[in-house]
Amino acid sequence: MWKYIAKRLAMISIVIAGVTLVAFSAMYLAPGDPAEVIALARYGEDLSASQVETLRVAEGFDAPVHVQYMIWLGHLLQLDLGKSLVTSEDVLTEIRQKLPATAELAIASLLISLLIALPAGILGALRKNTLLDKSCMFVSLVGVSIPNFWLGLLLIWFFALTLHMFPSYGYGSLKHIVLPALTLGTSMSAVTARLTRASLLEVLGQEYIVAARARGFDERTILFRHALKNAFLPVVTFAGMQFGYLLGGAVVVETIFSWPGIGKLLVDSIFAMDFSMVQGCVLFIAVLFSLSSLAVDILYAVLDPRIRYDRRD
Amino acid sequence: MNRNFKLILIICMLFAVIGASACIGEEKDGTAKGAGSGENSRELVVGIGTDVNNWYLDMFAAGDARFVWSQVYETLVRLDSDLNVIPGLAESWETPDDGKTWIFHLRENVTFHDGTPFDADSVVFSYSNQSYVRQAVLKPVQSVEALDTHTVKFVLKKPMPLPFYLTHVAWPVMGPGCLDAAGNFIKPVGTGSFKFETQAKDQEIVLTRNEAYWGEKPLLDEVTFKVIPEAATRVIALETGEVDMVIKVPEYDVERLEAEEGIQVHRKLTTFTDFLQFNCDKSLFNDTRVRQSVAYAVDTETLVNEVLEGIGEPAGGRPYSSVMMYSDPDLKTYTQDLDKARALLEEAGWKDSNGDGIAEKDGKPLHTSLIVSKGVWAARHNPMAQVVQGTLREVGMDVEIKVLDEGAISKLESTGDFGMILRSGYFVWGPYPKHFFVHRSGSPYSHYHNETYDQLVDTADMTVDTQKQEEIYHSLQAFVIEEVPAFYLMHEEKVVATGPSVKGYTISSEDPWLNLSGVYLERK
Repeated sequence: MWKYIAKRLAMISIVIAGVTLVAFSAMYLAPGDPAEVIALARYGEDLSASQVETLRVAEGFDAPVHVQYMIWLGHLLQLDLGKSLVTSEDVLTEIRQKLPATAELAIASLLISLLIALPAGILGALRKNTLLDKSCMFVSLVGVSIPNFWLGLLLIWFFALTLHMFPSYGYGSLKHIVLPALTLGTSMSAVTARLTRASLLEVLGQEYIVAARARGFDERTILFRHALKNAFLPVVTFAGMQFGYLLGGAVVVETIFSWPGIGKLLVDSIFAMDFSMVQGCVLFIAVLFSLSSLAVDILYAVLDPRIRYDRRD
Repeated sequence: MNRNFKLILIICMLFAVIGASACIGEEKDGTAKGAGSGENSRELVVGIGTDVNNWYLDMFAAGDARFVWSQVYETLVRLDSDLNVIPGLAESWETPDDGKTWIFHLRENVTFHDGTPFDADSVVFSYSNQSYVRQAVLKPVQSVEALDTHTVKFVLKKPMPLPFYLTHVAWPVMGPGCLDAAGNFIKPVGTGSFKFETQAKDQEIVLTRNEAYWGEKPLLDEVTFKVIPEAATRVIALETGEVDMVIKVPEYDVERLEAEEGIQVHRKLTTFTDFLQFNCDKSLFNDTRVRQSVAYAVDTETLVNEVLEGIGEPAGGRPYSSVMMYSDPDLKTYTQDLDKARALLEEAGWKDSNGDGIAEKDGKPLHTSLIVSKGVWAARHNPMAQVVQGTLREVGMDVEIKVLDEGAISKLESTGDFGMILRSGYFVWGPYPKHFFVHRSGSPYSHYHNETYDQLVDTADMTVDTQKQEEIYHSLQAFVIEEVPAFYLMHEEKVVATGPSVKGYTISSEDPWLNLSGVYLERK
């Protein structure tokens, strides 16, 4: 197992090199002159042509693109992510400031989503085709169809303005996380609930369940000890993926709730063509995503003893 | 491992995660501060849209940063709430040679937030070669020199009405204490009525009262600017009482807020003007008649009523908002006349001969594009572009709307592959002549080339005599109405809303300026 984890960790560095290269090239292929766009962000619309040219040379935009990437990679190897081209703030500091908020929101959203999805999916599978099942699945259809920005505003209107239960915006206390996490969690739970239901239905139809019934186990034992663990395998994969995406930030929800996360930082930096900040964000997101998918794979082995990573070596 | 053990392990992990996130959350609970903390508190909480990206003079204060800067920093020359030029940190100024040399007499007994005295040297420091403003707008400035402790001389390459330019909130006077010994920026040091206290990135900025302020002392002890990017959330935060004041209230919320008890909506016409800029170099708009046709076709009154709920003033082609200095009150503006619009198009050779509703010339149908930026103005520019598209269709123009980011727009601008751009914002800021520079040949944003126009703009910017200035600016406004390098659509109204406890606020016309001098709180 440890060998496997070490191998996976080594592979992450390859993933990072690839992802950052793609991000760098994509930024370069986007229309517009980076020097001009960055100058616009720094100096406002009053800028002069000489300011653009000075910036181009100072930030190295006059070098060929592959050279620019290699320079960035060289700095990375010295653990230097550079400074933001727009605000000249340290990239690492900025990301470290944003990361806790993003992680907290990701964890809280995932928990809420699972708290909604798992009971709904299990109930749906056990009471297949009843009114309960149909209404659960209908609600989840609605959940997946409602855009986040609208759901977010509705929740703010109801819980913050009408009931005064939670603050409408901001970051800091446990109360602040409720509404943004509920917004993200609700829309995420929809798909997870459907997946849980389908997966459990499939497992319940398998022979070993019939065999367990024949042996006289009661339904509760069959469900919790035999069926659920196998049914959860695809759910774990999916939830792990969702968690990975969440660690990349949630721009819409972050914007609505003034949540100081990494998603808005990344999108703002992309628009401002802030290469070093984009690269830094992409790097962190790639690492976190890889780590969360590694965690999923480890969880797999825990859930299903048939999965042994070491044997493949 | 036994199965139950694994299960317990997973559950423990889950609880650890929940616990950890709860701890992180609770730790910060103490610092979370909302409005209404304490009775009779003198701490104002203001909701703004973007954080302060920069505090130093080597860069522009973008977005809503200037609302915060205007509390901390001050300019040599100031504008009152109706845009009249009044003394700021300079008590008086003069030009012995019609605008090539400017001498500013500075206010005495003013100190910076770090206790150092405000003097001529700090002005020299603020407008040194290092300041970005010297490299752009104030390029003609040759030297800035201290004549004595409280007199500063600016020498320019060409005559220029410098005091106008020095009213800009983003080009204020900063104390040399902004920098450490090595020349690195450490903290904002200004002379304003509030001092910088703390900043939590993308969350809040806290300012405290400057006890040593030279002017009318603020009645508030503390001002906290909360960064709330989404306008809808900002408004709700005002309604819940989490903030006391919000800026940039969306037009569609105004009526609802006005009806709400305790909430006051303050509105005032600003200098910001949205305009439809034509590509006069490379598209069918190089024909003046086609541009005039657009001017006759688009009804700016409908635009303001339909898109902006009647908030703002229809421009009808008028480049200067009526609050601006030298805005010509007798300027003949455009009113919608679709027949005239069609006639002008026909005169220019565009006629619908096959009856499909689109005009043709030499067998080619009239297709053109309208570029809208994805940026800060998108919320109102998108629907405005759609109204323009709809009306132009009626006179036979087929307009395609393209919503693009700044990079893509600047690329199209350099290739000239577009018809019109919907623009706003900074191009039309302040009472100084740069407003007209956007259509001057040398401007990077210009798509119009006319020698008469260039000369008028240059003369205007070199004239210091106010009466002559007024004359030239009136003729420039008439020129824009006649030649239509751009069709000006509407003048923006600034909307600020305050909660029940805020008293004594006066809104000012200058857009990125928030005047908190008479503001006090009466918490119930």
